[in-house]
Amino acid sequence: MLLQILANALALGASYALLALGFVLILNATSAVNFTHGDMVMASGYVAIALFSVLPVPGALLLPLVMAVMAVLGVVFSWLAYFPLKNRPPVSVFISTIALGIVFQNSANAIYGAEPRKGPPLLSEGFFEVAGITIGKQALGIVIVAIVLIAAQHILLNRTGIGRSLRATAQDRQMAEAIGIRVNRMIALTFALGAALAGAAGLMLSNTFFVTPTDGTNYIIKAYIAVTIGGWGSLTGAVCGALIIALFEVLFPSLPLLIPSLEFIAPWLFTQTASTILLYLGLLAIMFFRPQGLFGETVQRRV
Amino acid sequence: MNVLNTRRNDYLGMLVAAVLATYPLAASAQTAELNLPILVPITGFLSLEGTSQRNGALLAIKNASPSVKITSEVTDTGASPEGATTALERALSRGKVSAVVASMLGTQMLAMLPVALENKVPLATVSGTADITEKNNPYVFRFFPGDAVAKGAHVRYVLEELKKKRVALVYQTTAYGQSGRRHIVELLKKAGVEPVMEEALDVSIKDMSPVIGKVQVANPDVIMLHLHGGPSALFIKQAAAAKVNLPIVAGSGLSQPSTVALVEPAELKNVCAEANASPVAGGTPEMDKFLAQYRAEYKTEPDGFAVGQYDATSMIIDAAAKGAKTPEDIRKALSSGSYKGIAMTYKSDGKGNMANSAVVICYDGASRTPKIVKRYD
Amino acid sequence: MNAALNWSMSGVRPLLILGSVLLALWPMLMTSAYEMRIFTIVGIYALLALGYQFIFGHSGALALTQGTFFGVGAYVTGVLGVKYQLGGEFTVLLSIALPLALAALIAAPVLRLESHYFALATLGVGQVVVLVVVAWQELTGGANGLSGIPGLTLFGFEVKKGYGTMAAVWACVAAGAFLSWRVTRGLYGAALHISRENPIAALSVGIDTAKLRYAMFLFSAMFAGLAGALYAHTLRVVSPEALEFPIMVACLTITVVGGRTHIAGAILGALLIVNLPEWFRAMEKYYLIAYGLALLAMIIAAPYGLIGLLEQWRAKLWPETPRTLPKAEPLRNSRAVERGSGPLLEIRDVHKRFGGLKALNGITLTVAQGEIFGLIGPNGSGKTTLLNVITGIHRADSGGVSLDGVGIHAKPSFAIAQSGIARTFQNINLVDEMSVLDNVAVARYGFENAGLAQTVAAGWNDPAWQRARAQAIHLLDALGVAGIAQSAAGSLAYGLKRKVEIARALALEPKLLLLDEPAAGLNESEQLDLAQRLRAFAKGGLAILVIEHNMPFLMPLAERMACLDHGDLIAVGAPADIRANPLVVEAYLGSPEKTSA
Repeated sequence: MLLQILANALALGASYALLALGFVLILNATSAVNFTHGDMVMASGYVAIALFSVLPVPGALLLPLVMAVMAVLGVVFSWLAYFPLKNRPPVSVFISTIALGIVFQNSANAIYGAEPRKGPPLLSEGFFEVAGITIGKQALGIVIVAIVLIAAQHILLNRTGIGRSLRATAQDRQMAEAIGIRVNRMIALTFALGAALAGAAGLMLSNTFFVTPTDGTNYIIKAYIAVTIGGWGSLTGAVCGALIIALFEVLFPSLPLLIPSLEFIAPWLFTQTASTILLYLGLLAIMFFRPQGLFGETVQRRV
Repeated sequence: MNVLNTRRNDYLGMLVAAVLATYPLAASAQTAELNLPILVPITGFLSLEGTSQRNGALLAIKNASPSVKITSEVTDTGASPEGATTALERALSRGKVSAVVASMLGTQMLAMLPVALENKVPLATVSGTADITEKNNPYVFRFFPGDAVAKGAHVRYVLEELKKKRVALVYQTTAYGQSGRRHIVELLKKAGVEPVMEEALDVSIKDMSPVIGKVQVANPDVIMLHLHGGPSALFIKQAAAAKVNLPIVAGSGLSQPSTVALVEPAELKNVCAEANASPVAGGTPEMDKFLAQYRAEYKTEPDGFAVGQYDATSMIIDAAAKGAKTPEDIRKALSSGSYKGIAMTYKSDGKGNMANSAVVICYDGASRTPKIVKRYD
Repeated sequence: MNAALNWSMSGVRPLLILGSVLLALWPMLMTSAYEMRIFTIVGIYALLALGYQFIFGHSGALALTQGTFFGVGAYVTGVLGVKYQLGGEFTVLLSIALPLALAALIAAPVLRLESHYFALATLGVGQVVVLVVVAWQELTGGANGLSGIPGLTLFGFEVKKGYGTMAAVWACVAAGAFLSWRVTRGLYGAALHISRENPIAALSVGIDTAKLRYAMFLFSAMFAGLAGALYAHTLRVVSPEALEFPIMVACLTITVVGGRTHIAGAILGALLIVNLPEWFRAMEKYYLIAYGLALLAMIIAAPYGLIGLLEQWRAKLWPETPRTLPKAEPLRNSRAVERGSGPLLEIRDVHKRFGGLKALNGITLTVAQGEIFGLIGPNGSGKTTLLNVITGIHRADSGGVSLDGVGIHAKPSFAIAQSGIARTFQNINLVDEMSVLDNVAVARYGFENAGLAQTVAAGWNDPAWQRARAQAIHLLDALGVAGIAQSAAGSLAYGLKRKVEIARALALEPKLLLLDEPAAGLNESEQLDLAQRLRAFAKGGLAILVIEHNMPFLMPLAERMACLDHGDLIAVGAPADIRANPLVVEAYLGSPEKTSA
């Protein structure tokens, strides 16, 4: 039972991890909270559905295509929401991303309607049993894809020249510009990367959990929480934070299943509603006692 | 019939009336006029149902007899009560309104009720939830079985047809979910049954494994779902994956074709749902005709809300054709008359509940088209 | 009369006055309940945005609780109105009180978080409130909410629906605007301004930024609660939508589009944001797309909001004549010069470590009253860190600092400034868009009793602010820069900014003045001038600690000197001894005559 729960949490966490990773990449490069990131995940679900209707191949083959389309969308997005405002106070970008989020949501609603749609599976739907646990083929696919993409992102950022330029831009833009890095290009590239990761997450989530135009808000909150728990600005932290959230979401309400006596002591504590409240309270506690999260920079208290 | 051009229709109407007035035969062929704004959620999380309402209403207007001249404007009510009241006030400010096709979102209806009362304009909706008919307001007419009727069918099917006693109940934390749950629990209690397990889910919850685990541990013999469309489909999928071999009886959320499209037919084995009507299940020549026309016009499958709103609008048009001129006439016609619609015959119970029957549809596991297995009047 | 005319002609006030007149006349032209309802909703959102300007505009903190406070206010009115049939005089007060209490409760842990955490924390609080309200069905009606909220009644008098409610709402808007103007003007307003633009500078002039932010947060909650109560009375239903994110988004949008710190901006923004969807209605389901694009266009074209844009245009097209300066007034010398027997400043064995780097390694120093003390050392030796420890920006790991025998190392930064230590900064910390005069005047905050109550109660022209500005002229004179009093601080040359900073520091009537590289950016004659003035101040009893690289400037000026190297104090003594000290020479790896780059 515990193993099954952990397996479920891992599949969920893998998607969240891609989502959070894209979010934190953009955050690092621009210090801007991209409130549209969740809507990008939603949009990529619809992109996947659109591509599938033209090209009915397994999702695994569509994946690079979806990521490419989203990468282009990410660059266009940066031209609209970020570059015109990059010298303004950061809250302007917050607002511009909210504005574009409204556009994304309502475009999706206008084109596809509000009913949930299902995206193509990576290979196939269906399940197989291993050691008494049921693992969905899609879920396994998600974990594999996530590991591959996270590893690829790590290699790109840490072992390649362009990765170094990206990191330099994120760490100290003025310095990077001073040593000749084309900062604007690097920022656009970061948006493309973040959007591509969102694209992968969106494709996979659209099959497991369907996609509706209003999904974005929920995803961005998860990303925001993951990045805060993991440590603002830390890529490893974003991934860990995402896994922690998924684990909490799946494990905590299931605790009475593992420890039956809990059901008698406080069944109300382990309902879905209570679990969500506890997640937020836990988040507030972390921000109060350890604001730098797990891996983040030491936070200067506001003076 | 023109739906958007108020002034042109006014002139046309006057011209036709003037011409006809010169003929002695005019008496029986006099054109009635109807101003019927359509105020439904086209954006926001209920836009699927709102669009069904809109489509059903517009189709009824299209099919209206030529003796009724209808002007109608579609306005989005968004997702908040504020949007609905603003839309209603706006419609009222733009000319004499005969009746209103109103949003099926419970909280929006509740906000619109006082405005309708003040302006003495009847509202026709397909909202099933909330106490909209419990507010002593004679201007609301709901063409969809209220929770009492719908959940009555839901519970009766479980107790009488399936003969189950151990009920696991999973419901949504929305108005729809909370109201339905209240009625389900009351009706079960009347039959001496208490759910062995209950859980409330937020619409954003996608991973249902904790809930499904809790359901299994409670050892029920039937699962009752009262969720919106998407979550219903998610639950059924994930329950099938977890090899939950229990009969599932869901609420109207599952009867929407768009929901059923998300699951594999095999996952629908042993699954039933309660609905006001199921156009895709067909059954009568009128329903089949409606189904074909709706598909051709809107290129999508109609759900119960669409046919309910179609019937509601048709009843209003029928009243106008039979001589109702003012909003008060229409209100009287709706509250005292009876109308044979496509889904059922509608008659007010005195409080504005027009739809007094519901059906239960079941899936056989081989296809996505259900069959109506029981009708409750 | 002249003053009133001047006032009404400044900035965009002519337009605003015209706008207010039109706004007051508009309801008389309204013919339908629809128009009245829209106008009422505009008023409610304007009130909400006015409240939001306190925390978001004037304090610069992106709080996402405004919608939550609004919803709580609405629910209080709804629950009390429907379940207990209480009259408006109770429900309105409680609708203000409960959000206020909630704000006070969450303020302590949440307000001191850095900006992005603060936003998320407030978001989290909002989500929890929604979940609780939806789950607590017996009280709130759950997701269905409560309907049948009675109209607004006050002491038994029933406010007429439609016209009456609209008038009540706009009366509240007017009152709110008045209160907002009072609170954010004058000396208190200037303190708010510097606290949000440059918190470190604000602390260094003795302003308790946390207390200001707290007050602003509470104000925002109160306004939101009132707006929520009016909303419930207008809509006559309350449901969880009143607590959900779209209202917060609307509030944020209104504030940003209208202008974050402009009262008129809240009203203009509300007019636009509430009406835009109505204007775009013809587009059916595409209208929200147009709304989003319009919002994007506005935020790009008008970063300081529409009112800010109008002000910019005014400044370009029809520049104002500069206002006359107040007459100089000498400082009131509110600080009694008590003199202890020991040294003025005593630093005892102070250690400070940053992660793996030991910045200060057991520093022990004293500075006497009226002494000019020089602090030198190569870059990175810990000089500025020592200053930061003295002024409380960093806490020492061990050791102590006392002023006049009283330990100050545990005091918060602003309190240390208030007790008589003023400083300047290596990279200037002035507020760029404030005038030189205002930058200096704001430092008189602590001396003028400029609290919240005072600023609300004061007359038309905040007298505390007038006095502060008059004294600021005097100080600018003392530094020889009274001529640039009206210029924006950001437009000045580095050397002039430095002098303004010194003037500001002197406004604190300090016992000890800490100067961080004051000669940087000054030419030789200016350096001589500054040295002369500093000597004069020291003769008057002011102790001065000067960090410098510029030896020709420092050597003749300082009476005693100390040299730091890699966190260690390697020499203390008379300037000549320091110059000759081999350790010092070695530390610098060069001649002490080398001027800083």
